[in-house]
Amino acid sequence: MRTEAEGWMEAWDGGTLPAGVQVGEDTRIIGTAAFRRFRGQAPDALVIGDHATMDGVQFSVGPEGRIKIGKFCCFTSAVLMCELSICIGSYVLIGWNTVIADSDFHPISPAERIVDAVACSPAAGAPARPKVQRVEVVIGDDVWIGPNATIFKGVHIGNGAWIGPGSVVTRDVPAGTTVAGNPARVVEAL
Amino acid sequence: MTGRKIPGDWHSGSIPENVLIGDGAYVQTSYSFHLCRSKMAAAVVLGESSSVYIGCMFDMGPHAVFNVGAFTLLNGLWLICDQVVTIGTHCLLSWNVVIMDNFRAAEDVPSRRRMLEAFAATRDQQLIAPIKPRPVVIGNNVWIGFDCCILPGVHIGDGSIIGARSVVNEDIPAHCIAAGNPARVIRALRETEDSGDR
Repeated sequence: MRTEAEGWMEAWDGGTLPAGVQVGEDTRIIGTAAFRRFRGQAPDALVIGDHATMDGVQFSVGPEGRIKIGKFCCFTSAVLMCELSICIGSYVLIGWNTVIADSDFHPISPAERIVDAVACSPAAGAPARPKVQRVEVVIGDDVWIGPNATIFKGVHIGNGAWIGPGSVVTRDVPAGTTVAGNPARVVEAL
Repeated sequence: MTGRKIPGDWHSGSIPENVLIGDGAYVQTSYSFHLCRSKMAAAVVLGESSSVYIGCMFDMGPHAVFNVGAFTLLNGLWLICDQVVTIGTHCLLSWNVVIMDNFRAAEDVPSRRRMLEAFAATRDQQLIAPIKPRPVVIGNNVWIGFDCCILPGVHIGDGSIIGARSVVNEDIPAHCIAAGNPARVIRALRETEDSGDR
């Protein structure tokens, strides 16, 4: 595992990787936005296996977030929003502008959302925010996720599943199936 | 390829010679052609007074042809084209619209693994999938809302509107409004529809 950008084809900013990022052999992170919203504090906040390509991917990781990605994955311009855990297998392909989130980011309760809006405001001086729901996202091996898809918190996607472009995935996807639509449902093929 | 530079371009690249730019057409940045690998003599044909704004990305394979009609506006189109995609005249395409003439993914898992291993070995910036593209045809005067996906083989008829965030996986007839995921026709449009703008 390497922790420096040295020798990469095109680093996100040509500098070193943030603490908590571990990258496998021959894995590349391309683009300037990769770590703009990276606030991970865990020693394994982002772990990527060998031979992966992360082109234009944004790793938006909160203080307690952990993202694990297997080998030979290829993600292009995806956004991974992680406050707890996003675990992705090997040989996974993710298309343009797909968003994966393991959190709601704001409370569901109207009263708590007022507290959160105040806490997020520029006047607040960054006080503690109300707790929000976080549920791990798990994506198996050999999963294909098309462009403009959205994967929400708590979703488990089985090995070899095929997520159609533009799908909004709110429930688990069985292994080997093809899903499409909003909300995503199992279909024969696209 | 020597190519052509755009004055004031933020990207250091240039427009490939096989991008044919019609009279009065506008290209904001050469970055849109960063993934254009087409070897065709007329890989991209931009009609008279058409426009390609920042945010467009044309990911095109060696045999790909992309035709854009006159006065068509592309405001952030993500194109995956390995054979042919044709857009007519006077079309309006909003931001983050995806048009693909193939999924760039083999259907079976062993082939997908071979594809990703080959990609990692060559770093060609382009996945090569052993599947046959299905051309996409967008008619004239079509309006496509933001975040839509137009899937392989789809034809959209003249004058139609595709609502924002729709996923179009079947043909859409001329002169109608279609929306949803998957997209369905909502209602017909008359050629001289009263927009209600007063």
